[in-house]
Amino acid sequence: MNLKMEKVAIDGVLVRMPFNPSFCGDEDKTLLHGGVLTALLDSVFGLANFVAIDGISSMATLDLRVDYLRPAKSRADVMVRAECIRQTRHIAFNSGRIWFDEPDQAEVARGAASFALTRGEVSIFEAMTQSRSSK
Amino acid sequence: MTPDLATQQLRKVPFFQFLDFTITELAETHAAAMMPFAERLIGNPIMEYYHGGIIASFMEAVAAISVSHGPDLRLPKPINLTVDYLRPAVKGPLITEATVKRRGKRMASVRAVCWQDDGSRPVADGLYHFLMV
Repeated sequence: MNLKMEKVAIDGVLVRMPFNPSFCGDEDKTLLHGGVLTALLDSVFGLANFVAIDGISSMATLDLRVDYLRPAKSRADVMVRAECIRQTRHIAFNSGRIWFDEPDQAEVARGAASFALTRGEVSIFEAMTQSRSSK
Repeated sequence: MTPDLATQQLRKVPFFQFLDFTITELAETHAAAMMPFAERLIGNPIMEYYHGGIIASFMEAVAAISVSHGPDLRLPKPINLTVDYLRPAVKGPLITEATVKRRGKRMASVRAVCWQDDGSRPVADGLYHFLMV
């Protein structure tokens, strides 16, 4: 997805996804498919959890809910803001929103999810970012 | 509409091309599809589990097809979705079966279940709402 982290903080992360025509749902390639927004929310929720919660090695999505507020018709970059709204030892709760990086910035989708956390020394997040930077 | 013809039609949608799934069954209120495993669909690289968002997207695609299939491809607009993840999806093909629960003039509710080897052990279960176009 070629995600770029714009802001990373304990109270939430802001991520940019450059417009990608192969994620579109139409032949004209101007309308992002809803499934991409769902996958994007799931990824960025995971990221927000790794930032907000110490000592998690891995996590699994328990459930995910997405409301598509309007058609995702634009060729602008996609912005996602996600936060971990509550954490317990085993569970994290997330909320997030998606909009296009263009003047009116109208919200395209909102999502909520919960994750099961696995705690431990080795972090898959670190393993992923290391393998990426070494490529 | 045969499953093969529907698969061909869906290849026109760039995002469906990316997912690279095949429709295996198609009936009035029912659709099934198979998605082969690919490295790019992984969410957890150490355990090699599928990405949760990809599973939800695949289920959404099959749900949309179950509610609307005809000679011209006119997919319904998604309103919202809820997915429960029941177990990790490991390296190997994924199968999704979608059943229309209710289809009215304007709205449709579809139940989608996704599994790997054993239909009685689903990896995810979701409910999708669509606006008919």
